[in-house]
Amino acid sequence: MRSLILQMGLAAVVAAMLTSSPARAHHSAAMFDDSRVVELKGVVKELQWTNPHVWLQVTVDDKGAKKEWSVEAGSPNTLSRTGWRSTSFKPGDAVTVRVNPMKDGSAAGNFIGAKFEADGRTLGRWN
Amino acid sequence: MRTLTALVVALTVASTAQAQSAAKGVPDWSGVWAMQGNTVFDRATVQPPTGRAGDAGVRESPPYNDEWEAIYRKNIEKVAAGALPDPVSTCGTPHGFPRIMNVPDVYEFAVTPQATWILAENGPGILRVYTDGRSYPAKEELWPTYTGASIGHWDGDTLVFTTISLKASKDNDVIVDRTGIVLSDASHATTRMRKIDPETIEAQMVIEDPKALKVPWTVTKRYKKQPAGTWAWDYACAENNRNPITDSGRTLTLGPDGKPLDKKVD
Repeated sequence: MRSLILQMGLAAVVAAMLTSSPARAHHSAAMFDDSRVVELKGVVKELQWTNPHVWLQVTVDDKGAKKEWSVEAGSPNTLSRTGWRSTSFKPGDAVTVRVNPMKDGSAAGNFIGAKFEADGRTLGRWN
Repeated sequence: MRTLTALVVALTVASTAQAQSAAKGVPDWSGVWAMQGNTVFDRATVQPPTGRAGDAGVRESPPYNDEWEAIYRKNIEKVAAGALPDPVSTCGTPHGFPRIMNVPDVYEFAVTPQATWILAENGPGILRVYTDGRSYPAKEELWPTYTGASIGHWDGDTLVFTTISLKASKDNDVIVDRTGIVLSDASHATTRMRKIDPETIEAQMVIEDPKALKVPWTVTKRYKKQPAGTWAWDYACAENNRNPITDSGRTLTLGPDGKPLDKKVD
């Protein structure tokens, strides 16, 4: 069963991942809580391969209800130079995505890394 | 079609520039380059040393006079409150100078004997430096702009240019970086740019501002050459801007339906 994990404890597990994030080109990162990591297990709804940010829309099960998360990443320009492609995420892909969540608890976050269920591939920072 | 035409023109300018530079003996700064480090403008003075521009409690130490130090402190408080929006988040105005020398993503430097174009992918931004011997326009023909007016010359392999006629920050509509540094309409700068090794270009800016600074402020930025064949791309900030600014200066996050995801909108 796909589930949404919102555990403070996870922050400690992946504390090593919390190195400084890449410079954000478009706006301050003040809305994100860099001290916390949320792990989303779900299905890709859409990848918006656009400037100024790429957005990954992921549908997760939240206590039996479907909930859509908006995951913000860098620009397609920068991401394409680090191995991303406009086809990296396809609708229907089963993924686990780690984000620094919004401070106010809304269903959005800043992309850290992702793992594809089908073949174990990862993108971004994972280990 | 217009975008394609602009792209072809830009590529033609860049390739023509490099051919001319080789022919006339100006340095070869071809390739794609990326600024080193984060977007704290004066990394030599930032506190805490690992601080990022835009994070609460991060500041630098421009040699401000008391009046402008107080302005900076107010901006730092706004940053902490999440109420100092980045003007470029609106996707409507350029970074301006000196901020154009301090942006993420990549740069290209198109060098010819007559002019050098600093092309920042992010923004996008262009700094034009004329080296054809011209003078600045007469005072009545100038007006303050984000990137100002730059003329320069080559001192050996060093491009030396002075930038004037810069638009002052009014209600933080132009910032130097996201810690809240701003300058007055009296600011101007002399920049020395050179390749310090085959993989590194350095720009040393000496910024003077008799209204805001007690002494000239020297800041150095470095740019690292990216692997051969690296592309720079179109950065169309307004394409899908899901981070509008509220009247109170908060940066929102919109869902895919265009409605704010934030729990508190203003």
